[in-house]
Amino acid sequence: MPREIDVSVVNLTKQFGSLTAVNNVSFDVPKGSFFSILGPSASGKTTVLRMIAGFEAPSSGDIFIGGKRMNDVPANKRPCNLVFQRLALFPMMNVIDNVTFGLRRRGGISKSDMVKMAQDVLDRVDLKGLNQRKISQLSGGQQQRVALARSLVLDPTVLLLDEPLSALDLKLRQDMKLELKRLQARMGTTFMYITHDQTIALAMSDTIAVINFGKLEQVASPDELYRRPATHFVASFVGENNQWNNGRVVKLVDDNTCQVDFGGLLSVARAGEKLAVGDNIDLFIRPEMILLQPGRKDSGIVGKIKEINFDGAHSLVVVDLVDSKVPLTINVKLQHTEQTPEVAVNDIVTLSWGQAAANAFHHVAPIADKKEA
Amino acid sequence: MLAWFKKSRRLWIVLLPYLLWIGVLFVIPHIKLFGLSFIDYRSGDITLKNYAKFFQSSLYRSVFLRTAMYSIITTMLTLAIAFPTAFIITKILGAKMKALLLLSIVLPYWISELIRTFAWMVLLRETGVISYLLQAVGITTHNIEFLYRNSTIVVGLVYTSMLFMIIPIMNSLDSLDDSLIEASYDLGGNFWSTMREVIIPHSAPGIMVGSIMVFMLNLGNYVTVTLLGGKNSLWFTENIYNQFIVRFNQNQGAAFGVILLTFSVLVVWITLKITKQDMSGAM
Repeated sequence: MPREIDVSVVNLTKQFGSLTAVNNVSFDVPKGSFFSILGPSASGKTTVLRMIAGFEAPSSGDIFIGGKRMNDVPANKRPCNLVFQRLALFPMMNVIDNVTFGLRRRGGISKSDMVKMAQDVLDRVDLKGLNQRKISQLSGGQQQRVALARSLVLDPTVLLLDEPLSALDLKLRQDMKLELKRLQARMGTTFMYITHDQTIALAMSDTIAVINFGKLEQVASPDELYRRPATHFVASFVGENNQWNNGRVVKLVDDNTCQVDFGGLLSVARAGEKLAVGDNIDLFIRPEMILLQPGRKDSGIVGKIKEINFDGAHSLVVVDLVDSKVPLTINVKLQHTEQTPEVAVNDIVTLSWGQAAANAFHHVAPIADKKEA
Repeated sequence: MLAWFKKSRRLWIVLLPYLLWIGVLFVIPHIKLFGLSFIDYRSGDITLKNYAKFFQSSLYRSVFLRTAMYSIITTMLTLAIAFPTAFIITKILGAKMKALLLLSIVLPYWISELIRTFAWMVLLRETGVISYLLQAVGITTHNIEFLYRNSTIVVGLVYTSMLFMIIPIMNSLDSLDDSLIEASYDLGGNFWSTMREVIIPHSAPGIMVGSIMVFMLNLGNYVTVTLLGGKNSLWFTENIYNQFIVRFNQNQGAAFGVILLTFSVLVVWITLKITKQDMSGAM
């Protein structure tokens, strides 16, 4: 049985003058799920969110929330609430007045009921005994909680979050990330989270929509996104990657697997899209999926260690591939297991990886000179 | 840089021009004025006569009341025009239009108040531009005198003090994050509730500064009121002027001055109390 859909976006497009900020985007957000829109800055993700919230009108396309078309419904009548990037708490009010603000707008609720409802939500976000505090007297984390409570108290069909964690320092962000995920699971409210930070998106989401230059690249679970990127952009954007440009397909093993050639070096690769022999491709190799063995082995790719960046669990080894006719280097995540060899700079090592570690896509010219949209 | 100034002697040297200014032009004259107001004009004795005269004369009292009322009305009217204007300039318009409109508000103040008031007279007098235009269009067949009416005084005062209301309100609205307005709408607010709960509370300090300044300017205005209101303007400053310049009764004039000052301080204080603002917050 298909899951109920809370938010549905159909062929959504937004033009700002000659600029297409959002280009024909469609996706469905299942009820009760944690849905993220992930994209680099200025990719159009915030515009999508603002259109759902009702602060921007779509140039074309439709928005449905809870099955109802929202295009002509003003922002203050939509069953969704937005947690703003800079929170936008009302500095002239104390905590409880901030949280009851939306309830007061509804009318027909007695003052004591409002306070009770607000108190209930404040308890859920673990913010007690601060009702009379001014916003400026709260810490960053407490302000986040007030912002969440202020929206959640209205029991929205969907809660929209515009990178509210980005203002916090790293440690607090890590804590809030987990807490937000737990809160969402506990409340069962549908969350739509906008972020440019893939670690946040991967850790929290049930489903992620990756967007770039206003276009939807892929909608998938974090796991799927990581293992099977659908486009060149997703492969380059999600997770860490070694990117080699301008290789050639030499053999198709099956529908999903091919062999690619970089200056005489052969590698097995997952074909991220339909490829043919002779195609010019870029290869993305996950540094954490590479096996590193000391010395020269019969199979695998031989290299010489150029540098070692030791950082505990995140240690990276940079290896020059000596057998290639074109200069190639690769970053390898150092695994810390019993079998991990002790390595030093200038050691000869053999690297090997499987189909799952390497994704091949048709070559795309670097976008460095392309204007940010 | 700040440490350099914190050396106390340097601080005093830097502040000296200001201290001279406030001392010579404000504190000393007011002490003098205050003293003069308690001295009998003829005998030179200490007396309350000058104040008694104000409270005994129904003319002075009613002129004072009229001045106070019109100052308050004019201030409110100025606020009613300035607030939406400031809101549109700061929150709605793009950078270019914003600069243009701001310039158009400031530009008239490059000209002296006297000249600006004369311009009003050219427009409003019996043989003036407006009277002529009304006849040209056929609305009326004879000259109409627009000067020397109460409404003319109000129009002149609103016009002449507009800038001092708009600028502080613009400043306070500038610091209002647009996302607060959006948040209010997002939570179900409409135009009025957003105004009442978010925008006006945020800009209250600016509204207070503007209102205090405009009220003081109105209360103490002389040029605009006398030129546009003529002999019938019956503005309290005119009484002070007459006592000092026409009757050479400095002592009576000083007493009127002290009464006017006391009243304006009182009004500002009460307003701040009612709106739960304080002077440091407002300024």
